[in-house]
Amino acid sequence: MPKQLFINPHEVRKSGWVKFQDIPVNQYNKTIEEEKANYTNEDFVRIYRDMVIIREFETMLLLVKTTGEYNGVPYDYPGPAHLSIGQEAAAVGQAYHLDKDDFIFGSHRSHGEIIAKGLSAIEKMSDDELMDIMKKFWDGRVLKVVEESKKDYKSVKELAMDFLLYGALAEIFGRETGFNKGLGGSMHAFFTPFGIYPNNAIVGGSAGIAVGAALFKKVNRKKGIVIANIGDGAMGCGPVWEAMNMAAMDQFKYLWEEGYRGGLPIIFNFFNNQYGMGGQTCGETMGYQILARVGAGINPEQMHAERVDGYNPLAVIDAIKRKKQLLLENKGPVLLDVVTYRFCGHSPSDASTYRTKEEIDAWMQHDSIVTYGKQLIDAGVATQEQLDAILNDVKERIDRIYRLAIDENKSPRMDLVSNPDAIASLMFSNQRIEKMDDRECDVLIPKEENPRLQQIKRKVRAGIQDGKPVPKNKVFQLRDAIFEALLDKFYVDPTLIAYGEDNRDWGGAFAVYRGLTEALPYHRLFNAPISEAAIVASAVGYAMCGGRVVVELMYADFIGRAGDEIFNQLSKWQAMSAGILKMPVVLRVSVGSKYGAQHSQDWTSLVAHIPGLKVVFPATPYDAKGLMNSALMGTDPVVFFESQRIYDIGEMFHPGGVPEGYYEVPIGEPDIKKEGKDITILTVGAMLYRALEAAKILESKYGMSAEVIDARSIVPFNYEKVIESVKKTGKIVITGDACERASYLKDFAQNITELAFDYLDAPPVVVGSRNWITPAHELERFFFPQPDWIIDAIHEKIVPLKGHVVRNNFTVNEQLRRNRLGV
Amino acid sequence: MATPVIMPRQGQTVESCIITKWHKKKGEAVKVGDLLFSYETDKAAFDEEAKVEGTLLEVFFDEGDDVPVLATVCVIGEEGEDISEFMPGRKDASTAKEVAAESQEQPTTESGSEIEVKSGDVAQQDGRVKISPRARNLAERSGVDYREAVPTGPYGRIIERDIRQLIEKGQLVTHAARDEYLRAEGMRIGGTGIGGRVTTADLHSMKREAHYEVPQPPVQEAKAEEADFEEVELSNIRKVIARAMHQSLANTAQLTIHTSFDATEILAFRKKVKEQGERLGLANITLNDIILYVVSRTLLNHKALNAHFLDDRMLLFNHVHLGVAVDTERGLMVPTVYNADTKSLDEISREVKELVEACRKGSINPDYLKGGTFTVTNLGSLGVEAFTPILNPPQTGILGVNTIVQRVKEMDGKIVIYPAMGLSLTFDHRAVDGAPAARFLQELKANLENFSIFLAK
Repeated sequence: MPKQLFINPHEVRKSGWVKFQDIPVNQYNKTIEEEKANYTNEDFVRIYRDMVIIREFETMLLLVKTTGEYNGVPYDYPGPAHLSIGQEAAAVGQAYHLDKDDFIFGSHRSHGEIIAKGLSAIEKMSDDELMDIMKKFWDGRVLKVVEESKKDYKSVKELAMDFLLYGALAEIFGRETGFNKGLGGSMHAFFTPFGIYPNNAIVGGSAGIAVGAALFKKVNRKKGIVIANIGDGAMGCGPVWEAMNMAAMDQFKYLWEEGYRGGLPIIFNFFNNQYGMGGQTCGETMGYQILARVGAGINPEQMHAERVDGYNPLAVIDAIKRKKQLLLENKGPVLLDVVTYRFCGHSPSDASTYRTKEEIDAWMQHDSIVTYGKQLIDAGVATQEQLDAILNDVKERIDRIYRLAIDENKSPRMDLVSNPDAIASLMFSNQRIEKMDDRECDVLIPKEENPRLQQIKRKVRAGIQDGKPVPKNKVFQLRDAIFEALLDKFYVDPTLIAYGEDNRDWGGAFAVYRGLTEALPYHRLFNAPISEAAIVASAVGYAMCGGRVVVELMYADFIGRAGDEIFNQLSKWQAMSAGILKMPVVLRVSVGSKYGAQHSQDWTSLVAHIPGLKVVFPATPYDAKGLMNSALMGTDPVVFFESQRIYDIGEMFHPGGVPEGYYEVPIGEPDIKKEGKDITILTVGAMLYRALEAAKILESKYGMSAEVIDARSIVPFNYEKVIESVKKTGKIVITGDACERASYLKDFAQNITELAFDYLDAPPVVVGSRNWITPAHELERFFFPQPDWIIDAIHEKIVPLKGHVVRNNFTVNEQLRRNRLGV
Repeated sequence: MATPVIMPRQGQTVESCIITKWHKKKGEAVKVGDLLFSYETDKAAFDEEAKVEGTLLEVFFDEGDDVPVLATVCVIGEEGEDISEFMPGRKDASTAKEVAAESQEQPTTESGSEIEVKSGDVAQQDGRVKISPRARNLAERSGVDYREAVPTGPYGRIIERDIRQLIEKGQLVTHAARDEYLRAEGMRIGGTGIGGRVTTADLHSMKREAHYEVPQPPVQEAKAEEADFEEVELSNIRKVIARAMHQSLANTAQLTIHTSFDATEILAFRKKVKEQGERLGLANITLNDIILYVVSRTLLNHKALNAHFLDDRMLLFNHVHLGVAVDTERGLMVPTVYNADTKSLDEISREVKELVEACRKGSINPDYLKGGTFTVTNLGSLGVEAFTPILNPPQTGILGVNTIVQRVKEMDGKIVIYPAMGLSLTFDHRAVDGAPAARFLQELKANLENFSIFLAK
């Protein structure tokens, strides 16, 4: 919506044609002879060697899975093995020109890519560099296992090759000496020092994350390109389209400032092995016929799409070389359709019922290793003996690595007996890092000149002045508090960026960001497409590469659109990396009201259920600023809920109002907003204010003094204050706007029951929203909890109140009925 | 249509009665007037007769059960009739509903939907006491017996405030004694610890009583193992008497003084009534009636003996409510002749006969078993020459009437034989000194010896 873009009706309504350019299909046709200028003999042979290593590595896994042994050594491996036998040329070809600064992101079938990229990085790095990396990694623990396994390493590169293979295999076998201490496994193994970033077991999951990585490189001017390795099946995933679309946004070309202008350095590399599990993507489950065609639908450059013969390593190398150059010229994004074929099934349990033996045999006739080897011999680059020697060497190497990786003593598993918290301690990184980089912050105006900040200066920072509430237009509001915390951080952490729908110019749908547009260049604050999945996934990628990011979902109800990205990616990568990756992402989520069933639900419970996410829901300006400061200081993903009901509320509790300076409210600490002695009310989010109304009624009508505790955070949560309160009062109501069934409110109740059972005078009672759709605003009082609901629930379930007349049915029979009906 | 039989309310102050015996079994046919069951309060025993004919369809309480008055005890009707609506507890529920509904309509009513629940009501329904953990812990810490609490929580749950209520007025048990005390089902024993708490010592003394060692002949004697005694459960009345007597002796400063009077005149009057009373429409006036009559008049001049002694003050009554000790099979009962000083001899005589009859039958209205200001007890018919009656606190005096013995006295210089009737007055020295008490006896004696003149007054 930038005003400099004029939408001209004459242009828009003009008659004409959309023109397409031809998309190259397998246009590479050079011979070894012709390529000799570009490769030495060693290069040619190394390509062969790398392919053979992958083949033997995968064959070893196939044999372990199907026969329970390799070279007569038995091993039981129950985990996944999505093998890429047949796809080696594509992997090795891609990696050939990539170095450690080029990041690849993979899929469930990425063993080959890890090995190829690792071998390529090793080839390009100096011995010192390699030794440094290996010595530092897990304090040299992995290196030590490898070094002790063989006495006579001829070179550091030889050692590094074993290090790579061992680290990957130990990871696949779930060993603590694996790259990620066994917490990633086959589908998630990665090794960032070689530029190998997480592989993803969710089909297409890497696309959006890779966009974030590319964004990180662009915004922070980092070297290298990013490749999202996904399969042809991923083209059926919405988030992949979102990622491609977001990577191709016009603003990169037209709106971003000089120095940042231009396309994202990313290749969407589809390893097109013709099958999405068993579904045939060409001819059955998709309509593109040739996958590369899709590029034409994304942008005028057609994503520089082409189909490349993935059975010829030299064709792939050629393509990557050209595309990398394009990306370095800021002409991304790129789409590659690298055709290939896997001889083995989707997984060892796959009986290949969906394809014929003839088809597999036909592709085996084209086996890239055999064909390429023959070409090398024909071209006089190598002899059969040389190639045989390579094969023997590789077999010996894989055998040794295999025996090492299954050795229970040398490759132990994480010891959860002596260290029961080993995994728990990895769920959050819990670090305090003020800025993720040390350079100057890129801003447009000095902070003090910010128009919003100047407007805020005229506001009253407390909600009550001289005993009277300060009028809305004069009071420092909750939205001002969030703005203030963010603005501060933009002037401290140069990597901090923020984006989401309508964040720039509009200032966010709820005016939280008003004033940020004036302060920040495009590359630090921009509007995202309506692509919740890509918004969250790219934030994950941006953060795992070392940046800090705040993204926004306009309504909590849109969490569903970013389901995988929040539940599987944002939440899990810190622990799946065994702590190697940090995830300093703040995901702002606004809880709506007045807008009906799909715009007004409180979904805190969904995110609270997922391990690895911190969840906060401040209800006052003081807490909002303090919690946002904490979230922006930390290194963990924080889902930051805000209620649209109270964006304009002033600070009613903190003495002196909201401080202008920096302060933090610790995540996980509830706050007593009103002291009392007869009953405790624990509130989540905006329910605080309705609970306070209920407390007032309890006090004036029933002589009952209520203690109101604002949870502020949901995950983590320190129960101490609540339990102390319950010990005092013996009674507790837990209330929030979430639909009651399976809500986090119930979890609170359950924990309080166990933690304070002996002190309870009645079971903890939950007053949540009805298990309905959110109705129209005029009917919301029948859906969202109201003060009288709290009092009725107390009367019915905790302590009958003298003279109280109930208006809502909180009886046991009604509870049974509603559950029976599922409403 | 089946007919419920409810536990009658025997007097305004009676809340429950104990069923002592069932005369009919479930399933038996009953006719109008058949005895259904016998029951007793702590003061009197009663019989309940069938008022309708039919089959005893269901019996809700067993012998020994303490039944709230107005609760349905059993149901009489035709075989096969549905009696579910009479199940105890049902009535309470519907009452509760009505109360709740009422409160919905009249929100301004004080006490609104508060449902009055009696202690133990809910617990009785499923045999479990519902109590919150907090209330239970508080009861444990403070030493109250939570079974005594009146539950006011949701669904009949005892909650903290109920225990607090109990602490304010209830019986306390020390922590050490608590478990044992709670195991002592149905026992309610007095406490001697701090603040009246029941202590382990109390429990042990209770146990000693419970396991009182009966003297046994030496083991070597034959048939030593056969118990040579019969163990008898105390009736409620016996327990009440035991407690009352002990309390009387423990809590008052009573002493007894004796005298006798010449009964010639009252014997002559008695003879005259016996010969002509029927013709004159008079009751069969006994010597005891005469004494009651004279006492009721004489007492008005000695108000300290027609009184209640209440530690820091006394109530001096303007009328005489005479307690009359009656010997019954169940034990001693003392019905009251209210306002005896305003009633004629004939009226007193008739009323006493009715009261005695009612006591012996066990049909006495409990309201007649209280309110006395002075008591007369008579063991004379059993040949007792003198005894020390025990005061019935807070009354200050009780007169024992003894048998008549022939005595000699000097009269006009001659030794004459006369019938002498003994009187034993026990009084509370806290309320009355010896001389005033003796003066009452002296006047009483004079009035009785000159009964014909007294009657004329």
